[in-house]
This record gives sequence, C-alpha cells and structure tokens, in this order.
Amino acid sequence: MNLSPGQNANQAELPSAPEQQVEGSSVTSAHRQRRFELPEKPVVVIEPRKAWAPLDLSAVWAHRELIYFLTWRDIKVRYKQTVLGAAWALLQPLVTMIIFTYFFGKLAKVPNDGVPYPIFFYTGLLIWTYFSNGVSNAANSLIGNTNLITKVYFPRLIIPTASVAAGLLDFVIASLLLIFMLIYYGFPVTLSYLALLPLVLVTTLFALGVGLWLSALNVKYRDVRYALPFVIQIWMFVSPIIYPSSVVPREWRWLMSLNPITGLVEAFRAVLFNHGIRWLPLAYSCVVTLVLLVYSSYMFRRMERDFAEVI
Amino acid sequence: MKPIIKAESLTKQFLISPGDAPSVHYPTLRESIVRSTRFAFDRIRGKRRPREEMIWGLKDVSFEVMPGEVMGIIGPNGAGKSTLLKVLSRIIEPTSGRAELYGRVASLLELGTGFHPDLTGRENIFLNGAVLGMGRREISARFDEIVQFAEVERFLETAVKHYSSGMYLRLAFSVAAHLDPEILIVDEVLAVGDASFQKKCLGKIDDVQRDGRTVLFVTHSVSLVKEHCHRALLLDQGQVIRSGPAAEVVGDYAAMY
Repeated sequence: MNLSPGQNANQAELPSAPEQQVEGSSVTSAHRQRRFELPEKPVVVIEPRKAWAPLDLSAVWAHRELIYFLTWRDIKVRYKQTVLGAAWALLQPLVTMIIFTYFFGKLAKVPNDGVPYPIFFYTGLLIWTYFSNGVSNAANSLIGNTNLITKVYFPRLIIPTASVAAGLLDFVIASLLLIFMLIYYGFPVTLSYLALLPLVLVTTLFALGVGLWLSALNVKYRDVRYALPFVIQIWMFVSPIIYPSSVVPREWRWLMSLNPITGLVEAFRAVLFNHGIRWLPLAYSCVVTLVLLVYSSYMFRRMERDFAEVI
Repeated sequence: MKPIIKAESLTKQFLISPGDAPSVHYPTLRESIVRSTRFAFDRIRGKRRPREEMIWGLKDVSFEVMPGEVMGIIGPNGAGKSTLLKVLSRIIEPTSGRAELYGRVASLLELGTGFHPDLTGRENIFLNGAVLGMGRREISARFDEIVQFAEVERFLETAVKHYSSGMYLRLAFSVAAHLDPEILIVDEVLAVGDASFQKKCLGKIDDVQRDGRTVLFVTHSVSLVKEHCHRALLLDQGQVIRSGPAAEVVGDYAAMY
C-alpha cells in the first residue's frame, strides 16, 4: 500500500468549484457531467505489503502539515483547564531542583564538579525531563489516538513524532529559567551556547527512536504502559542527572557511557559550563541514536500494518 | 471509459485464536512469551500448531466504479461492508488481492474523527480538516463556508464539549463536506442525525456527485440507495452477491432478507 510518487497524483485534481451551478441534477445523467482525465497510473494501489517494506518517507512528507497540527493540538490541550498553564513546564523542574539541591546537595553532598548545585541539577533535570516526557508521551501516543488510527489513513509515524515534538515547547520554556540562572551565577552566556542546538536535536531523535519502538510495542502489549514509568525512573538513576559521572570510579566509566544519555548530558554540561567536551561518549550517543532510529522506523513500519486491527 | 476504482479479488482474513474473544483481548507480553515457547516445544515434539480460526472479512471481492458514479454498498450486518471501506481507505491491509484508485480519496468512516473535546470549534475545524487530508491553506480558504454551512458562528470560540450533539454533528459534517477529493468514501454516518441533518447530508452527496466526483457509500437504507445511487453492490459474508443498477440490486436484497 503506497502512494505512487509520480506527479500523476496531481493531474487528477479537479478545477473544482463546489458551488458551481450544474443543470441536470437527475441521478442518471451523471455520466455526461464534468469529465476529467484519469491519471495513467493509479494514485493509490492497495495490496498486501511485504513484512519489511521501504519506509515511504514521501508519504510522511506529504502529510507534514498533519505533524504540525497534531503537535499543536498536543500543546494546546496539555494545559487546558489549568490555572497555571504553561508555568507547569517551569514549575516541575524548578521544584525538583530545589528538593535535589537540599537533599542531594546540602545533606548528601554529592560532588558537583565545581558547579553550584541548583544549576547543576537543573541542567540535568531539564534534559532528562525533555527526554523522558518525549519517550513516555510517544510511547502512549498511538493508544491515545485509537480513534484516528481506526478511522483515517495517514502514515502512523506522524503520531509519535508529533508527541515528541510537542515536548519541545516545554523544553524551551524551562530553558529560559536556565538562562536566568546562568546569568545569576555569573556564567558567561556566549555564542558557544549555540552548540547546544545540535545536542538538543540528537536528544530529540534519541527520544523519537526509543518512543517509536515503544509506541508500536504498546499497541500490542499494554505492558509497556505499566513498565515504562518504572524503567524511566531507573534509567534516570543510572544516568548522570543527579550526580556527575566523575563519582563513578574510572574503571567503570565505560559502563556508564554505554547509556547514550550519559554522553548527551555530559556534553550539555560541558558546553554550558565551558568544560571540554568528551567526544568519544558523545560520538557513541550519536551513533546509537542513528542506528536506533533506523531500526525503530522499520520496526514501526512493519507493525503499522496491524495497528488498526490490534489496537 | 476507464474505471476510477478497480478492485480485484480483495480478500481479508481475520485470525481468531481459539478461545479468544477477538475484539476485547489484548495479548500481554507474558502470554506471547508463554505461547511462543509452547509452540516451540510442540514443534520439537512434532506437534502441529493448532489451527487458528479464520474469519473471512472479505472473500474475493471484485468490482469497478466509473468516474462520477455513486455506488451504494448494502448487505446485512457483518457482511463486510465496513471492512471493504476500511481496506479501500488504507486503514487495514487486505490479505490478498489488489485495488487501484485513480484519484485522491477522502474517507468519512465517522463524523468528527480527531475532534478534541477541549478545543474550540475554530480549532477543531483546522484539526479535523488536517486529519481528513486538507492543507492549512485549503482549510483557511474554506473556513467561512464551513462555519456557515454548520451554522455555528456564535459558538466558534466555545469548546466543542459544550456543543449540543446536533451542533457537533453539523460542524463535523461541514468540515467533511468541504473536502475536495475525486473519490469520497462514506460509511453509515448519515444515520446519526435528525431528518433535517440527513437531508442536508444527502443534498451534499448529490452536489459532490453532480460535480463529477465518485462516491462510495454504505447504508442500511434501501430507499437511500434507490434515490441516490446509480449502482449498488450487495455483500453477504464477505462476498459479492450481486452488483448492478441500484434498483435491481435493491430489489434482490429486499427479496432475500
């Protein structure tokens, strides 16, 4: 089942004017009404697909406006009927940061690589919140949009993609506070911070890679929904969010870096606090992201065929 | 003249594992693991996998629709009408067979698909339009028409959850009615409204047809088929029993059931 990519698709377009007056409305006369040229090749061919079908990104591109609208819907709906609205995007990492600063910083005295605790925790939480919300929203996105899946056609890839994209606004809002904190603590806010943009992109793609895979799995196995919060919590504790990876003995660092989040969070902090970036873990995170994204997309595509029946 | 829709031996099988209720059951991970290991052991011991029960949603369905035709699909409950529309709408994939569509398709299997109760009428017009395949510019261009047709001008900024069901339906239908595809696929969505709503809908279907576009629609109403369709397809148990001029097929249907 694929949209044939030829330009034929457009040739069939009617010079339509629905309100145009056409005489002779009796049912039987329809055949001699407006003629339009049928395309040579079918616009849509419907047939069973092989298990590992090509990705058909052109269909996703053709529906790109839908990505925009679903993202927009998710953002609009998220803070409807709340008093604080988008302030929630700020409040959550802020309060968590304060609690962490007190317990892990003041009481437990977790090493902080010489960066003030509030800002150290906040950077970690900012990225982690963005990543983990992206993953869990994407993972639950398909089953949350059952009505769309069973009633209209469009590439299903769009649904989890829009879920991840919708998290970007929260991330931007929460980042504003970070900038204030950086200025407050006297960090030089420079153009070198632009290096954060590719890092955000990789984080987004990694969240999408994980989210796509989980969302497809979730359609068939609802266990995902219950396992996920738990897994995400554990994942946070094995990532250097509330501690720097320097607390881990040197001979075990490599184990930590197997977690692609490690390379990303460390690179974020390195750029923000003007440390040197450790390139190897970061490169590893990028490679894992890429491989995962390709794998997840194909897996998703494969399972997509059954979504409407299984969901 | 070439057909705009050509379906050749479309077949859809649904698998039903013994003992499972097909629609309510989700396999959990545990069950899948247990099952696959059990099958593996069975295979080692030379046992065959127990045959899962097959249901024919569609069986060898072939037909053609000419451009500008309105074709009604009738048949008793469970005949495969909705399955056929879902296959043609690319929501589910056929098990075998092939269909070719020589035009853009819009399917209307339900009114208000994608409506979000918390969003306003205005917002839902855009959302629903996008879901049904309209671009943003297309929707903006027709926005006023859609609102006027739905008669909801005063409630554009109200969340649709506060709409009466009549308003909700009118808005949903209005968005759908302003789609501009060459092929329109409509499930039994007209049965939901009151008489004036139905009249409005049917009027729109006639408009669409007068415009030279092709309509495929499912209904239980024999009189609707007689009045609005050129041809009809009678399905039963997933198979085409009869196809031909609407009046004849409807006559057969009435005689059979």
